[in-house]
Amino acid sequence: MKKLLIGLYAGITILLMIWGYYQAIYVAPNDAMQGEIFRIIYYHVPSAAVAFVFFAISLAGSIGFLAYRQNAPNKAQIADAWALAGAEVGVVFCTVVLITGPLWGRRAWGIWWTWDARLTTTLVLWLIYVSYLLLRRFAAGPQMQTLAAVLGIFGALDVPIVYMSNRWWRTQHPAPVFGGGQGSGMDPSMLPAFFWNMGAWFAWGMFILILRFVLERQHQRIAAAEAQAALEA
Amino acid sequence: MDQAAILDHQFRVAAYVVTWAIQLSYLAWLGYRWRVQKGKKQRS
Repeated sequence: MKKLLIGLYAGITILLMIWGYYQAIYVAPNDAMQGEIFRIIYYHVPSAAVAFVFFAISLAGSIGFLAYRQNAPNKAQIADAWALAGAEVGVVFCTVVLITGPLWGRRAWGIWWTWDARLTTTLVLWLIYVSYLLLRRFAAGPQMQTLAAVLGIFGALDVPIVYMSNRWWRTQHPAPVFGGGQGSGMDPSMLPAFFWNMGAWFAWGMFILILRFVLERQHQRIAAAEAQAALEA
Repeated sequence: MDQAAILDHQFRVAAYVVTWAIQLSYLAWLGYRWRVQKGKKQRS
């Protein structure tokens, strides 16, 4: 039954991805000013949105770990697995954002990169979570999870700064498409492609997030069993 | 198709290909980790 549900979810996700691609390439019109290069938005913006949500999951997991680590070790381990999964999958999506953005910028602005507020804060966000993953990979000892949780909480503080950056500082990055006040928004003919891709990338993101969470829980169980075996030896 | 439109097309294709390359590479890495962990679990 479990395998059937996983297969069903994976199937729906693949169909959503195909439908999203079809909408982005064959249904949505070219942008009047930017032409075809505008279609990068259908992958770039959903990837950023998914990264933000997953960093929020990592934040919740980090807070949960710190809250439970003294009184409920099992709950703390579950929270820690969510924190790690959220951070790692968030970094994957943030990497997509940082590569697709410059590809668009090279054609739209004529440059690959500029130290604009949105770009710089996004790069800082990526660096914080990469350092979080490196800490988890290379630090040892009982304090590692606690240190990672604290870093995860500080890293998440950058998410609202990234989100607000092109509202607070009007530099190179385009103004917000949604919720950006008067003159913002997307042509109605482009909205279906945008929202289908948003749904598709969220479905895909949830799939790999849950996979990563399960993998981490397995790793925790194996590590606990090995520690127990070493104590008994 | 003029030169600008061709370049736009190439850059758009590059962005989509890179996105999928990253996502599928990560999925493959998860699959590899899964196999390694399964082996460890069976041994322990």
